[in-house]
Parts: sequence; C-alpha cells; structure tokens
Amino acid sequence: MSDWTLVSLAEAIRTKAVSPVEATRTYLDRIGRYDGAIRSFITVDADGALSAARALEADAAAGRWRGPLHGVPLAYKDLCHVHGLPTSCGTRTAEYFTSEHECTIVTRLRAAGAITLGKLNMTELALGPFGDNAHHGDVQNPWRRGHVSGGSSSGSGAAVAAGFAAGAIGSDTGGSIRLPSAACGIVGLKPTYGRVSRGGAMALSWSLDHLGPMTRTVRDAALMLGVIAGHDPRDGTTSRRAVVDYTAGLDDGIAGLRVGVPDNYYFGGVTADVETAVREAARTIESLGASLRPLRLPDPAILHGIGNVIARAESAVIHERLARERPHELQPVVRARLEVGFHISAHDYLQAMRLRARLTRQFIDDVFTDVDLVLTPTIPEPAPALDATKAGPVDEFVRRMGRFSRLTRPFNVLGLPALSVPCGFSVDGRPVGLQIAGRPFAEATVFRVGHAYERATDWHTRRPSLE
Amino acid sequence: MADPDRQTRVDVADVAALIERTCADLAMSEEPSNFAATLENDGVADGGVS
Repeated sequence: MSDWTLVSLAEAIRTKAVSPVEATRTYLDRIGRYDGAIRSFITVDADGALSAARALEADAAAGRWRGPLHGVPLAYKDLCHVHGLPTSCGTRTAEYFTSEHECTIVTRLRAAGAITLGKLNMTELALGPFGDNAHHGDVQNPWRRGHVSGGSSSGSGAAVAAGFAAGAIGSDTGGSIRLPSAACGIVGLKPTYGRVSRGGAMALSWSLDHLGPMTRTVRDAALMLGVIAGHDPRDGTTSRRAVVDYTAGLDDGIAGLRVGVPDNYYFGGVTADVETAVREAARTIESLGASLRPLRLPDPAILHGIGNVIARAESAVIHERLARERPHELQPVVRARLEVGFHISAHDYLQAMRLRARLTRQFIDDVFTDVDLVLTPTIPEPAPALDATKAGPVDEFVRRMGRFSRLTRPFNVLGLPALSVPCGFSVDGRPVGLQIAGRPFAEATVFRVGHAYERATDWHTRRPSLE
Repeated sequence: MADPDRQTRVDVADVAALIERTCADLAMSEEPSNFAATLENDGVADGGVS
C-alpha cells in the first residue's frame, strides 16, 4: 500500500478496492511508525483525517463522489492555514500565522475529495533551502539519514518520498518546492507566477512566492494542479486564464519539441554525478523525439541579485514584528537573512522590480524563440550532510544556501513554470533532479516532457528504505 | 569578530550597485507591473505547445 501514487490510490478508491478509511489508516500507521526519525510532520490530525475519511466513505457508498481526489490523503506545508489546525510556519510559535480564510488551495483540494493528514515541517519562515529547523527538528532525507531533505518545503518532500501522504503542497520563493523534490527523489512543480493562488498561506515574498504540488509522479502533479489552479478573488495576483486539464495531453509524446540545454552557467560547479545524470536525462528526452540543442542563457547573476533584493525587502516587511520584537526566537541564520531587508532602500527595491520586468521580457524573447523548454540540473549536488551545511559562521551558512539554490532561483524571478523530476542517483544513493522550465503558462508542455521522460525511466518507482 | 551588520550593508550595497549598473538605461515607461503583463501576454494560449 505504501507504493500508491495519488492517481493509483484515487482509482483504487473509485473501484472500491480500498476505502478512504483504509487508505487514511495506512498512512497514519506509517507516519506513526517511521516519522519519529524523519520529522516530516509538525501536526498530525489523525482524528480529523479519520472523521473526514469516514464521511467520504459513506459518500462513496451512496454514489456521491466529490471529485478526482475523493478519499485521497494529502498533507500541507505548515504555512498553509487550515481551519482547526495551528500554522507555525516553522517557528516556535504554534499559531504564528492565522487567517480569516483558509488556504484557498486546501479548500479546493478538500472540495475535490482530499483528506487532510496534517501540517508538514519546513525551514523556519520558509527562509532556507536545506530543511533544518531547530524548533521542530531537522527533516531527515528518507534516502540517507543525516542529510538534508532540501527546503524550505522539507517535510513535504520527505513525506511524499517516504510514503506518508499521497501528495503534498509546498511553496517556492527561490526553489523551495524543487529543491526538496530533487533531494528526496520526487516530482515538484513551481507553476507560473499567478497560476495558483497564495491566498491563506503565509507569505515570504509577495512577488516571488509560488505554491504548487509535490508528488510521486508527473501525472499526480498534473492532476493536483488542475484542482488548485485558477483565479482567486482573495489573491489579486492570480491569473484569470482558464485552467486546462493538465492530464489530458500527457501521453501525446514529445516529438518535435525543441529542448535547450544550456552550455553556460547552469552546469558550472555541479558535481560529476549530477552532470552525468542530467545529461543522460537530456539524451533520453532526445531519444523520445525531442530536438535537443545547446543554448546560451543570460548570466543569472543579475537575476540572483534582483531576487535577493526583492525577497529580502518584502520578507522583512512581512515578518517585521517578529524580527524587531522577538529576534531571539529566530534561528540565527533566519534572523540574519530577515534583517538584511531592513537595509534595502525603496529606490533599490523599485529598480529591482523594474529590471525584473525587462529581464523577463528579454529572456522570453531571446530563449523561447529558439526552444520550447530549457533543461538544467535542479540541485548542484546531491543532498549534503546536515552538519556540513550548518557548520561555520552565519555568513558562510548564508553563502552555502545561495550556492545550493542558484539553479532554481532565476525561474522565481522570471515567474516561469519549472518542474523537477527525479533523474537518477549519486553513487551513494542520493537522488538527483532534472529541472524542466517553459514559457509562461506552459505547464501542460512541461508536464508532457516530464511524463514522457518518466515513462522511459524507472526513477519514480524507487522507494527509500525506512527501516 | 566581523561585524554582521557591516557585512550585511556591504553585501546589500554590492547587489544594489549591480542592479543600478544594469538599470542605467531603463525608460520611464518600464514599470514593475510590466512583469505580470509580460507573463499574461506571452503565455501559451492553451497551456501547451502543439
């Protein structure tokens, strides 16, 4: 049963091969047995989940099907406000974030029949790519204990990889869905900016935050996106574009798609096992009919700079009260990253926002004239050891964070959809991820490539041993 | 011991200088909202490439 994908479980429930209560109990039992060592959950709502499961089971028996996720247990990063559950955002304050309205994504998933298992561990305030957390425990990589799960959606990555939930929601401001997805060997999507509502979720940076699915397969992620995407009157940044069925064209193949592999910057400094795995993945995609071509991408340094200015300025405003009134409650590196924002002038922030607009225009014009998609590694090295990431002074920790997230951050600044799929392992068994990025609102195409690659490989079928 | 506030100010200044150099020729009409407009106007029509 721990081998379910979201889609296979939904089908098993639909055919009554398994009941919502059985599925929920299976996940809760597994969490109880193994999560003490992994630390992926902050709050497990066993009573709420079973109560919901019983109601859904009764509905199914009566022929009332709520939607494509009827009876499927999911879990949410602990910055998504869920009625009746605390939202710590990874801080030591149990109810750090409250909202009159529940997280829109959670409401939509529940309306589609999903069950809430609980709230997932995360880097404090989503400020970090490794998943360490002094308040709630460092999330352990299920593939290799003592190594990072990736962050900041650390619990989401670990829980899906370990089979503690059929799928999860994460958030991504600089890579926080894709980094743990790559580190934990699962699928994660950062959608186009504005494709998915951020309503009812703690913000880290209004201009760079994206929420998205984290799952075992590309089809699972496509199904979840179809449920959560779309305009939300509570989030003025959401697009009014119609939401397509992202699963519909998955099996159409990728013949003729033009896929670019950068020959500058994005492979610089990555480890040999990452480069080998990602280039082999590119060759596999080519063998499936895509046209592979080398690509020169703009220097991402300016995108990194823009992202830093915007993210630090906005996060300092959002979390000002905590940073100014109770800084001692924050982990030192989180405090340091927040406090940078107080030194950024309005002039510099606004120049960064203006430049962002221009560089996005230029990137689309220069890159997507020649290719339909871009392939890069997601992480520059397989999940490093937790102790190594935290060693040394705070400023070195911060620089280490920047290096680990340097391949994902540009796509937050550009607002483009970017998917991470597993593409292999290091020699010592740590997952490696392939990042697939596309034009604005081209999630269907990004999914189609990821799905075709997934069908041609078996990385997504591998499971970590939790014994 | 290094002064973290001083280092922070140096880091921020370095990034600001990089941005300022690149912003040198921004036209008055280039405003932040152009970003969202670019995504909407350049987005794929049906969510995929045929």
